[in-house]
Amino acid sequence: MGAKQTRSEHDHQDLVEKTGFSVEQIQNLHKRFQQLSGNEETISREHLKSVPALANNPIRMQIIEAFFDKRNQHGNELGSYEEIGFEEFLTVMSHFRPPTLRTTTEEKETMRKEKIRFLFNMHDTDGDGKITLAEYRKVVEELLSKSGTIEQEAARAIADAAMLEVASTNVPNMGPDDFYEGITFEHFEQILKDLEMESRMHIRFLDVNTTKVHCGK
Amino acid sequence: MELFFNPFDNLLCILLGISFTVWFTLLLVFIIVPAIFGVSFGIRRLYMKTLLKIFEWATLRIERGAKEKNHHLYKPYSNAIIAKDPTSLEEEIKEIRRSGSNKDLDSVSEFEMSDIFYFARRGVESIMDDEVTKRFSAEELESWNLLTRSNNNFHYISLRLTVLWGLGLVIRYGILLPLRVTLAFTGVGLLVFLTSVIGRLPNGRMKNLLSEKVHLMCYRICVRALTAIITYHDSENKPKNGGICVANHTSPIDVIILASDGCYAMVGQIHGGLMGVIQRSMVKACPHIWFERSEVKDRHLVAKRLSDHIQDKSKLPILIFPEGTCINNTSVMMFKKGSFDIGATVYPVAIKYDPRFGDAFWNSSKFGMVNYLLRMMSSWAIVCSVWYLPPMSREDGEDAVQFANRVKAAIARKGGLVDLLWDGGLKREKVKDTFKEEQQKLYSKMLVGTQEDRSRS
Repeated sequence: MGAKQTRSEHDHQDLVEKTGFSVEQIQNLHKRFQQLSGNEETISREHLKSVPALANNPIRMQIIEAFFDKRNQHGNELGSYEEIGFEEFLTVMSHFRPPTLRTTTEEKETMRKEKIRFLFNMHDTDGDGKITLAEYRKVVEELLSKSGTIEQEAARAIADAAMLEVASTNVPNMGPDDFYEGITFEHFEQILKDLEMESRMHIRFLDVNTTKVHCGK
Repeated sequence: MELFFNPFDNLLCILLGISFTVWFTLLLVFIIVPAIFGVSFGIRRLYMKTLLKIFEWATLRIERGAKEKNHHLYKPYSNAIIAKDPTSLEEEIKEIRRSGSNKDLDSVSEFEMSDIFYFARRGVESIMDDEVTKRFSAEELESWNLLTRSNNNFHYISLRLTVLWGLGLVIRYGILLPLRVTLAFTGVGLLVFLTSVIGRLPNGRMKNLLSEKVHLMCYRICVRALTAIITYHDSENKPKNGGICVANHTSPIDVIILASDGCYAMVGQIHGGLMGVIQRSMVKACPHIWFERSEVKDRHLVAKRLSDHIQDKSKLPILIFPEGTCINNTSVMMFKKGSFDIGATVYPVAIKYDPRFGDAFWNSSKFGMVNYLLRMMSSWAIVCSVWYLPPMSREDGEDAVQFANRVKAAIARKGGLVDLLWDGGLKREKVKDTFKEEQQKLYSKMLVGTQEDRSRS
């Protein structure tokens, strides 16, 4: 076979350029993809729902939806997929890649914007480009307990207060009867502009040569 | 023309006859007779040592070959894809808020828009890598054991290696497999026949003694049918009458491994077909606990039958696998509490397979039973260690779940397995919603708690 690369290595080379992961990381993630999909070509929502650790997460439905959201695929399409393949899976994962030493300031800005865009998409479920009060309330209710310490009324109040704060920051001269339609992407960015996102929203991907597995005695 | 064939016919018949006789004599002398008496010639251990040397050589060859050609050696999937931060919910949210706003925050006070970061990141981390889904696929190996099924690096590396692999294939499928299948049939056939015969005897000490001997002999033949090389540790802790033996479950072979060293009463559902025949004849010789399909759902009935069995000190110890399903032998999952509720002494047993020789894990969603057995019989060998742990009983103030967890921890520690809280049933079902609510409650408590402080001050 000599120097001939196998088919998967060839595809992975394309993905390295598109997503910025290294070849080893892509191979690892491919393995994970296959584990999740049960060795099929695509993953559906059912596959992701069956990950037990995700069950702990209050916003798990939003996270699962984020994988199937077309807006997270660096294109201009709207709507969502029924099933995703490995390339779409990687593209969503690439939102969480940390910057390296070689990342330029411009690239960092782009990455930051992408991350904010990811979160924005998670809130804006109908894809109209604005987070309305109803949409925001839904996210807050998911985060807080439906049956426990904070009642639904209190959760709503919190959501309303947050929206009000956004409105007053971004539209300073709003009259008492004006209707604030919703948080646009620019407003969202404005609110989070001081937040140091690089270390908060990334996942450290390991390279393969880490701990060895010891079998038996 | 006829004259031409006749001598050859005769010769052929004679040859066949001789080879069959030789074959059966060898079988009898080297395998069946030792099985009856429980002695061993040590041939299997020698076989094991030789195999190990060959495997080491094969792995070195692959590694060297890969380096020479600058191929990417796909090392086995090690324990993690990502490095997870072990920070708690509270610490992280504080961090996020501190970096966002300019206010001096000492505690997590009201809700902020950026709180969602933590959950989003944790959620994606779980999708990348979680403790549970890993356990339900077979363990990956470091050195290659000449079985293509366990190797991802199988490229044509060198002529010698391919020849060796081919030779291995011929030996495994041509020589070992037929031998083992013959033995398996012999073992099972003898079991059914002899237990039916013993069943006709009147109940008494003679019957129990004979039944013990017969069971042991047949299981030992089955052990040799799989070429299982088992090392038993701490045999002084072997389960006694009136107790329950619990062990971690990796494959249906676990039963054969334990039962060839001691006599147990099995618990299970009555099947149809061959399994049913075996079950029915076994129960004639000594009392096993078989349930009809309809009875399985009734927990009280099950518990009652089990406790009745234990009360009778003349009956054998019960063998139970509390995980409820096969796990891939790197960890121990949640024990179902039913068997720990009855109030008997529990004898824990840890079973650990050595994956270098053959992967014993039964992935029932991937392979059926027959397929699985064929794979087992065409591996090199099944090497495992069995540890008998000292008996445990439920302490005062401990409920069944805590007791089960204590036993589970002891088994995991002894066998070198990871002790997990998760339920083995997750192989087929989904997680309950209660786990999500726990996290929600935690987060809400954080917000409410500080609001109460504020209203007080």
